[in-house]
Amino acid sequence: MCLGIPMQVVEINQFVARCTAKGVERDVSLFMLQHENLAVGDYVMVHVGYAIQKMTEEEAHSSWELFDEMVRLEEEALAAYQQGNKPNA
Amino acid sequence: MSLTAADWLHKIHELPLSEPVKVMNVCGGHERSITMAGLRAALPKTVELIPGPGCPVCICPEEDVYVAIQLALHEAVIVVAFGDMLRVPVNVGKRDIRSLEHAKAAGADIRPIASPLEALQIAEQNPQRQVVFFAAGFETTTAPVAALLMQGIPDNLSLLLSGRLTWPAVAMLLETGQARFNALIAPGHVATVMGAQEWQFVVDQYQMPTAIAGFTPVSLLAALYSCLRQGLEHKPFLDNCYPQVVTEHGNLTAQQYLQQTMTVQDAPWRGIGNIAQSGFSLRNSEHDARVRFPDYAEPARKRAGEMPAGCDCARVVLGAIYPNQCRLYGSACTPRHPIGPCMVSDEGACRIWWSSGVRTFEPSSAA
Repeated sequence: MCLGIPMQVVEINQFVARCTAKGVERDVSLFMLQHENLAVGDYVMVHVGYAIQKMTEEEAHSSWELFDEMVRLEEEALAAYQQGNKPNA
Repeated sequence: MSLTAADWLHKIHELPLSEPVKVMNVCGGHERSITMAGLRAALPKTVELIPGPGCPVCICPEEDVYVAIQLALHEAVIVVAFGDMLRVPVNVGKRDIRSLEHAKAAGADIRPIASPLEALQIAEQNPQRQVVFFAAGFETTTAPVAALLMQGIPDNLSLLLSGRLTWPAVAMLLETGQARFNALIAPGHVATVMGAQEWQFVVDQYQMPTAIAGFTPVSLLAALYSCLRQGLEHKPFLDNCYPQVVTEHGNLTAQQYLQQTMTVQDAPWRGIGNIAQSGFSLRNSEHDARVRFPDYAEPARKRAGEMPAGCDCARVVLGAIYPNQCRLYGSACTPRHPIGPCMVSDEGACRIWWSSGVRTFEPSSAA
């Protein structure tokens, strides 16, 4: 639950922003970023539904690539295991 | 031009390392990236990466999980908790209910959530019912809980708070001479919230190389390179290798919410005992589930507060052993049938190692 996910702001309603990451949309609280002047199009690091920091587009993209890569590696490891062994019952 | 992971690996291999270096990380997200990217195998043999106290689910007091289960079973409440907490087992008799998941199957109203905002929604949708939010987590999760309190919550919502701070566990290891590491990779998102300066003590008091890292292999390797180089030059400093989001003082708004709603006190870590100034407590008893409901803690219960019998999670958490040096690893304890919390949580080192394909107990992989 400590894993942060970068998201892009698509709409702001006071302290709640509609944000998107790789096609997934969610409401995110901006309550902890009241000191920031956030605008539609900005990127934020989101933890358990709360934006904890503003970030650059470049950093957001490199984090997304990492998530894709980790999902792929986990799937590979699982597939290799299931091919070589019986899954643990 | 920015360096790639391969560039950083090359730079690391170029370093004139002769002495073994053990670098500990204190974040499940770091451990996940390191393990999934296979960084350990790509490093010089003298460099060891040790997973440390980076999993809040793993160290959440057994007593608190027990209380959450009892509340769900004996009070007319809805218990909401982060999904990872549902499968964490407590130490009870074979016929007793041993996890929130087990209690849910027995009919208790327990709902997994992914955000404190969902706890609020569930409370608002059920105004006639009491909702207890079992909130375990490190600073990154506890700050949003503080924000939730600052925004105002309905009367029917209360908190069973098990928030913990990360740095006091590192301080404890260093103070008590239990540290098996001689350099530290500090957690990027904890530092995002709390500020880089929180880790300055590692350098100032223990002259230990320290670098704050993000979660990509590039950021982790940059931090590792920094630690190795600091060590070689005998010039330790706190290097911020995640400046994209980490600042010296962190998110001051979040810290202000924490200070206004919570105090910091000595607090127990599962299987480890009390760690000084490591736990968040609610300032106001108004929404404190420990005040609102009877005390179900039963401290005299057998093995209260401990890890499950035979489970070495406490030593895994403290970086004293690797996950696959626990006797239960991969045989009695797997993600499908976890015994210890480190195999339950996505941030637990055992679960991460298992997911990456490490399947067997290997006492010989000792450092």
